[in-house]
Amino acid sequence: MHVNFTGIRGGLVLISADDPGGLSSQNEEDTRILVHQYAHLPIFDPCSPQEAKAMVKEAFDLSERTELVFCLRPVTRVCHARGIIEFEDLPKDLPVAHYEPDRERFIMSAVEMPKFGGLKRPQIRHRWLNEKQLLLQGIMEESAYNWIEKGEGKIGLVGCGMGYTLIKEAEQYLDQRLPLLKLGTLPLPRKKIKGFVQGLERVVIFEETEPFVEGLFKRIFQEEKIEVEVLGRSGFVPAEGELNLQVILDTLSKAAPRVKLTQPQVPTLDLHIPIRTRTQCVGCNYRGILNALKQTVRKHKGIVAGDIGCHDAGSFRPMELQSTIYCMGSSVPMGSGMVLAGVNRPVFAFIGDSTFYHNGILGLMNAANNKINVNVILGENTVTAMTGFQPHPGTGVTLAGEKTTPVNVPKLAESLGISYRVVNPYDIKQCREALEAAVKEEGPSLIVSSMPCYLLSTRRGQKVFEPREIRVDPERCNGCMICINDFGCPAISINKDQKKVSIDSMICVGCALCADVCKRGAIS
Amino acid sequence: MKMDVVITGVGGQGNIFASLVISQYAMNKKFNVLGAETIGAAQRGGSVVSHIRISDGTIYSPLISRGQADLLVGMEYVEMMRHIRLLNPKGTYLLNAMKIPTVLNNMGLDEYPGSEEILQAARKYCLHGHVIEASALAKKLGNIQMTNVVMLGALVKVVPFFDYREVKWLVNANSPERFKEANVKGFEEGYKLIKIN
Repeated sequence: MHVNFTGIRGGLVLISADDPGGLSSQNEEDTRILVHQYAHLPIFDPCSPQEAKAMVKEAFDLSERTELVFCLRPVTRVCHARGIIEFEDLPKDLPVAHYEPDRERFIMSAVEMPKFGGLKRPQIRHRWLNEKQLLLQGIMEESAYNWIEKGEGKIGLVGCGMGYTLIKEAEQYLDQRLPLLKLGTLPLPRKKIKGFVQGLERVVIFEETEPFVEGLFKRIFQEEKIEVEVLGRSGFVPAEGELNLQVILDTLSKAAPRVKLTQPQVPTLDLHIPIRTRTQCVGCNYRGILNALKQTVRKHKGIVAGDIGCHDAGSFRPMELQSTIYCMGSSVPMGSGMVLAGVNRPVFAFIGDSTFYHNGILGLMNAANNKINVNVILGENTVTAMTGFQPHPGTGVTLAGEKTTPVNVPKLAESLGISYRVVNPYDIKQCREALEAAVKEEGPSLIVSSMPCYLLSTRRGQKVFEPREIRVDPERCNGCMICINDFGCPAISINKDQKKVSIDSMICVGCALCADVCKRGAIS
Repeated sequence: MKMDVVITGVGGQGNIFASLVISQYAMNKKFNVLGAETIGAAQRGGSVVSHIRISDGTIYSPLISRGQADLLVGMEYVEMMRHIRLLNPKGTYLLNAMKIPTVLNNMGLDEYPGSEEILQAARKYCLHGHVIEASALAKKLGNIQMTNVVMLGALVKVVPFFDYREVKWLVNANSPERFKEANVKGFEEGYKLIKIN
């Protein structure tokens, strides 16, 4: 990270969303530690979509004024919320962008600075960044995103971002109002905090997710010799997971036992609710290539490094195909690493096209350059399907929706000097043959499994296959489970008593892939 | 006045479209609206819940908590039951009689409860409920993906808060050109599905 040291001209706002509870991402980490503690940059932590909107504008203004990068750190419940947002008019007469060279700042290099007695530039920029902290503290002291709400008693609540929102939600169930400090900024407003805790014996801090503000409070209290107990997410409030109304109420009943709670009681439910894990769509072309890969992997005792995207559900039951899933683009480097470490089995890396263009392409380049024997399968559905059909460099459309030239993957493979095979994932036999050939070949190889996303195509009224009515012949079905365990279409289920599978015509879309999966010809 | 609505279903059933229409209706009526979708990580196949909070006062949390919902819409049996405790037992539920088995159900490793068992549990929890064959009707009308508009039609009949003509207009306005006619038809047929004496 350098931009914290150089600062910026104009305005730069970094938005980094966190996912407390790991509701739809790979981790439960806290951006504030990286951006504020490590990089010493200011952060806004919004409590609602409307506040997030206001904060972005102010962050740009302040960024321009202070020459520092500002960060907005919204959590899932802000990002995935839908609400009424009030807009203001767009500013008029915006200045025209221009660039003024300032090499003493924007060339980040360990060069001696004569003006500072020969000290190196990073140290001088560090000093500059440290000096900015006083300015920031003054700004946050006056910020409209920090405020105090009066209440009774000696126990105060502190709500950071969504923590504040949930305290307000909880108030309807409490028989009294506790003093409340709403916080939305880092650095913290030290004077406001000192004012708030006067006369209090204990504060309970609700923040997402690490006990970060809690730690800063303890430091402030130590420096200011304030004797107030600080409770929060270092254990008093659960240290992992998302805050919710129940967590707030349970914590309050411990922290402020005299406050009466009046939460509505509801009957218990005596019913087994099966857990639902996600899978690919019915009709998705990934199921064809995943099935072909499953067969190949079983035959050759292969290993599959997976990646982020719709295909990643192939790592869950029933397929249990991919052995690793980390961040975007990790499949090819992880597969390469296995090969380099000497794993004496065929190694595959499965990656979708959006992820490939995001970061995977570097891994492929590295594998090609170093002649690593990894078999890369690119699931090319021509769109970022998992997150709602955003275009990518293989789509042929710009973000603004204009036509553009898509990446030509065969030409890319040619330029890398690796073999490639383009297959139709609705043709399992063709996929199998290509995978077999790739396994037998030394060195890196690429299989491009190419077919537009079924879901998007259907919405656009385009057909990626000719749908047909699919039936199971119960005479031929022997309940071998291959169509379920190696394919896993949600429309196919087993009747345990009869040991026969059946296809739910309400769910089936007639892609007919399962007919090719069944070895006994029971599905047609 | 407040109206907290939870829509539950499986990814791909059209929860989001339905929640958008409901939100817009409430906005047009000058209510505050705040809600959230918990859509897991995939377009389809996972459990999907939409929370829509409508009020003439301030709304804080985008999520509806235990016992707060006035209306629970279930696009699928088990998904409705998964979240039934969000419903105020004095509220109303509207269930689409559709079973979408889970992966483990399909593998024969987990039980999907029987319809009668589910309905009994729902009735025991809350007295005001309607169970309709929305997906079957949508399929009959030509596309099972119209389940959501059929459900919206039925919802308008069940809950006096919603105005038939205005919601129908929003269904039309929010549908892509190619589906407008079919979606409006689905909405009208859904309205007729519910018989209230």
